[in-house]
Amino acid sequence: MNPTRRRARAGRWFIAPNLAAVAVFMAFPLAFSLYMSFQRWDLFTPPTFVGATNYRDLFTGDPLFGIAVRNTTVFTLGTVVPTVLVSLAVAGLLNRKIKGIGLFRAIAFLPLAVSSVVIAVVWQFVFNTDSGLLNIMLSWFGIAPVPWLTEPHWAMASLCLVSVWKSVPFATVILLAAMQGVPDSLHEAARIDGAGEVRRFVSITVPMIRGAVWFVVVISVINAFQAFDLVYVLTGSSGGPETGTYVLAIMLFQQAFAFLDFGYASALAWVMFAVLLVLTVVQLRLSRRNAVDQ
Amino acid sequence: MSSPPARHRIAGLLGVYAGLGAVTACALFPILWALSGSLKRQAEISQPMLLPAHPQWSNYVEVFARMPFWRMLFNTVLYAGCVTAGQVFFCSLAGYAFARLPFTGRDTLFVLYLATLMVPLTVTVIPQFILMRVFGWTDTMWAMIIPGLFGSAFGTYLMRQFFATLPIDLEEAAILDGCSPWAIYWRILLPHAKPAVMVLAVLTWINVWNDFLWPLLMIQRKGIATLTLGLVWMQGEYVAEWPVLMAASMLMLAPLVIIYAIAQRAFVSGIAATGFGGR
Repeated sequence: MNPTRRRARAGRWFIAPNLAAVAVFMAFPLAFSLYMSFQRWDLFTPPTFVGATNYRDLFTGDPLFGIAVRNTTVFTLGTVVPTVLVSLAVAGLLNRKIKGIGLFRAIAFLPLAVSSVVIAVVWQFVFNTDSGLLNIMLSWFGIAPVPWLTEPHWAMASLCLVSVWKSVPFATVILLAAMQGVPDSLHEAARIDGAGEVRRFVSITVPMIRGAVWFVVVISVINAFQAFDLVYVLTGSSGGPETGTYVLAIMLFQQAFAFLDFGYASALAWVMFAVLLVLTVVQLRLSRRNAVDQ
Repeated sequence: MSSPPARHRIAGLLGVYAGLGAVTACALFPILWALSGSLKRQAEISQPMLLPAHPQWSNYVEVFARMPFWRMLFNTVLYAGCVTAGQVFFCSLAGYAFARLPFTGRDTLFVLYLATLMVPLTVTVIPQFILMRVFGWTDTMWAMIIPGLFGSAFGTYLMRQFFATLPIDLEEAAILDGCSPWAIYWRILLPHAKPAVMVLAVLTWINVWNDFLWPLLMIQRKGIATLTLGLVWMQGEYVAEWPVLMAASMLMLAPLVIIYAIAQRAFVSGIAATGFGGR
């Protein structure tokens, strides 16, 4: 066999197991999910075709969908905006060649390794109304205990706070990597012109890394839009208190695995997918542009 | 005005250290508070001291009594280990082929791979759940291992991009000598791919270790449960028993903190390079 054909044959064999996995666990589920979204199916009786009913019900007949969309929007904004602002500042602080910076970075990035489940359980302890750290600290100033996780609006605020705590290290890693690519000469020139530290950060560093900033914005939106683990463990499987933290991913989980309405849940998944697809296309564009910049 | 006076510089440096101190304090305080809580008595948990007078190590003993911790640790290591080994092997093999072994339709196939990167878990999780039921794998270890074992589009993409940056001369002599593609992959290219392999391995390991939704859907038996699942079950069972719950959280955190300490560089650079992981 000639070498070119031999290499082509090896190539097919090397890809085969991987391709099989991607086909079975990614491509097929994608197609099957679309098919299911036009069915009514509880897994135990045969599915029945219902046309676009699932989609119509979502947009016209289900008040919970509206609540979930609103909560997801609030949660996404409440996570992404603070995350980007805080991580810009943190990345700016960490982007220095000073003694001990390696240790500061290692500690600041530590939450990256902690699972959402542990984060949520630990923060429940911090938020606990009777014995939580936050209410103890508030009591020092004579402020009455705040129902962090038991009142709907506070619960959403608490959820955003934890989500920001969890997302900042991730965003900082990406922003710091971008900041390290900004040439020192630019800063040097501005320093000679008398620009202060903050001024240089705002007018040189941030504009130079705006590609990375947008990348972080889009990817944080994608993550927040689908948030599940944190919500499920922090405030419960039904998005309580009341519907205070009832987000789209919780609704999907509930419709599919509590109410066994797999068709309806699949329609919801495709509505979410449509939004995510737009965001992902933007993200891929940005990451390609980033790659060109570097 | 070429350089500011030394006094200003020192003040500025102090400011930077104060800022860095605040950042690390914010990152650490919930974890330290939990650590402190794990050593308190139930009656002490509403007291603000960080170091309890008599650390209650018995809270940790209590965790082992209430959940099969070692069994769950073993399960988690087994799942993470199998999936990580499988991902590294099958993704690097496919990535090598996509980068270096041309065949008809290869590039079209790669574009399709890229397209599946855009498919979120949100869409695939329900059909994957149904697949597992059809295969009869729900509530078995297979459900935790097989879906991730043979590689993923993300890992293949990562490895392919890395192999594409390696100089072609690395393998040229071997090709002329008539080495098989397998020998070239195994003896020449894979050893050179260590940085990319580390990134993929660490991201995969931490992903599987921290995964919650999939074990939640798949597993009911304690004997095959993961640590994250064990913690959530405990949280549901022992409401407000904070010392024991915090001790369990700390036990879950410890292995990952050790891995993070060892592989921090690969982990952080992997996230910086790909934008994946750390969700």
